[in-house]
Amino acid sequence: MNRFNSSVPADEYLADSNVLVYLSDAVTQLLEHKEEYTQFGVIRYFAEYFSSVKNSNHVLFREYNYIRATAHNRASFIRVFWRCYRQIGKSGDLLSMLEYRSLLQLLCPDFPVEMVQNAARIVLMEDAIDCLMSFSDFLYAFQLQFYYQEFLDSVLVIYQDLLAGKSPNTVIVPTSIEQLPFAAAEDNEKEGQQQDGVDSSTLAECIDALCDRFKHSHPSRSCMKEVLEQTEKVCYYSFLMSLAKQETINQAIGALPSKAELLIDPEMDQELDKIIAQISVSPGSNSSGSAVGGLKEVQRKASPRRNIHHRRKVESDGSTEETDSSEN
Amino acid sequence: MADKEKRRSGVPPSGMPEGKAPKSDSDGEFLSQAGVGELLRGAILKMVEARSDDPIGFLADHFCNLASVTEAGRAGCDDGSQLSNGPLSSGAQEQQHLNRALWHLRLAHHSQRSAFSNNVRVAYDLLNFTQPCRRPGEVPEGPDDSCNDGPTKGGGGGGGVKGGLYSQTLQCLCSEGGVPASTSAPLLQRLHCQDHEAVPYDVFRHGVLTCAVFSDYIRQAQRLYAEVCCPDEGPASRSLCLAVLGTLKEALETSQGCDAKCCVNANCKVNSCVEANLKAIRYLEASAKISPYKLAQAMSEARTRGPGGNMDAKEFENAAADLFITRVKVLS
Repeated sequence: MNRFNSSVPADEYLADSNVLVYLSDAVTQLLEHKEEYTQFGVIRYFAEYFSSVKNSNHVLFREYNYIRATAHNRASFIRVFWRCYRQIGKSGDLLSMLEYRSLLQLLCPDFPVEMVQNAARIVLMEDAIDCLMSFSDFLYAFQLQFYYQEFLDSVLVIYQDLLAGKSPNTVIVPTSIEQLPFAAAEDNEKEGQQQDGVDSSTLAECIDALCDRFKHSHPSRSCMKEVLEQTEKVCYYSFLMSLAKQETINQAIGALPSKAELLIDPEMDQELDKIIAQISVSPGSNSSGSAVGGLKEVQRKASPRRNIHHRRKVESDGSTEETDSSEN
Repeated sequence: MADKEKRRSGVPPSGMPEGKAPKSDSDGEFLSQAGVGELLRGAILKMVEARSDDPIGFLADHFCNLASVTEAGRAGCDDGSQLSNGPLSSGAQEQQHLNRALWHLRLAHHSQRSAFSNNVRVAYDLLNFTQPCRRPGEVPEGPDDSCNDGPTKGGGGGGGVKGGLYSQTLQCLCSEGGVPASTSAPLLQRLHCQDHEAVPYDVFRHGVLTCAVFSDYIRQAQRLYAEVCCPDEGPASRSLCLAVLGTLKEALETSQGCDAKCCVNANCKVNSCVEANLKAIRYLEASAKISPYKLAQAMSEARTRGPGGNMDAKEFENAAADLFITRVKVLS
């Protein structure tokens, strides 16, 4: 119980809590599926709805506008994504941007490709967007991009203004992601300039002012400051890459464990071992059976496929091995 | 889950036979028929009142509790018609009412006085209804309904909550508050009522509030001990602990002096504003006495002289609890 906040006005409390978003969604869902949801009673329906929100199961298979509606929904979706596809990280497979998009669309049918592209740009430093990425690299970049989308969009606008030598004070905060493909096209034109980036301290100042407008929905100021202090000049995507690797930011979002623990899941391992044991008993059967079966061919080409019998060994050192792709 | 599958598409089914207007009409009808408006209004009011840090968790608990109450209420009615007042079912019902009462008591922290008082009232009425002479029609009452009711005037309840139920409530409150049973036992002993006694509302409220404050107090005391002791060096030194306890005692005495004075003056009802100010000043004085500065002073004095040896966490907790319990007034 929050005993010190009773002075907060009721409407402010309600607005901060995002409860109204969930209440109206709950009612909308109820109306769309009246017959089904009311057979156990309306109260039970609301109890189930809010329990699922509480347990972060509520974003599964929902539309994009819903999964990005609140910070809790975003964190929940990131977590769901991680939990569903952790095994990809374990097997050490590298996937392309489009493959990650397919995975995301299995969880959220209308997940926009722009979001995935932006995450991929963070990992690949924007140049080679067709390259393959390890699961953990992509995951942390995706987390940053998805969770702080609006903030990062504004940072990009500021960055581009600084690059063009404009005063960043005239910046208009973009409200939708539609502007991004355009921004990306612009990037390519100015590639020569982008090599050096902008002055870190100027960018830091602008970002600090930007944070004031974003209330809480930005990465921690001290973290961003720390990153920007490391170099004199900075590029947008290398700045984002550094942010994506910050454990403080990861903890603040609270959806994912630290990188070292990302792939540890003893329960799932046991289950998989059982399944693998069954498969090896019946030699004729195909080892695919997962939701990503359709991607298999591409994966095979993409990475030297490890033999199932060597899987154990790969897992033990997999977490450190696959971080290399971005660090080079 | 099956319902997840159904939610897969956020788009409403396109093959809706009716136009938009009739649909929204029927939607409105449906919602009002199902009482959704009332339900949500009640939930939001409760939530705003409690100002929970975790509003979603609060709503989840709230609806789960409501659902189990209504489901059990329906089942309870059926039970009642089949085996009227069997000893088993009445015991189970008592337990259920106790659970609901505790749930209400948990809703708001005692520092939010009006919310807490409301919830104590609701809990009291719930427990009072547990008397066997209850009319069956009253069973499915929603927890919110009784907020504004008078104290069980028209209800079938007896003259008060049964003493046994009251003691059980206090015990649960303490253990939920994280107080070990051995620490809370002396307090419960002091607040104890006989099983056959009927507990009036004032006594009930006093007991509940005391237990809630006591739980907070013990948590603070535990924290205080953690501050005094360095975890690597084993238990804290006895002299330090005694110094801290002494400071605590002094502060409690200061604040209690104010209580006693106020009680005397409350009868006169003169200069109530001045009284309130005096009270506030005494509290400020008391809190100054346990300020970090004072504590540090006492501790540094104690470090140089004072008894040797150590004091473990349990002993400290008991001593702190004792300071509290001797100051608990017993209402009769």
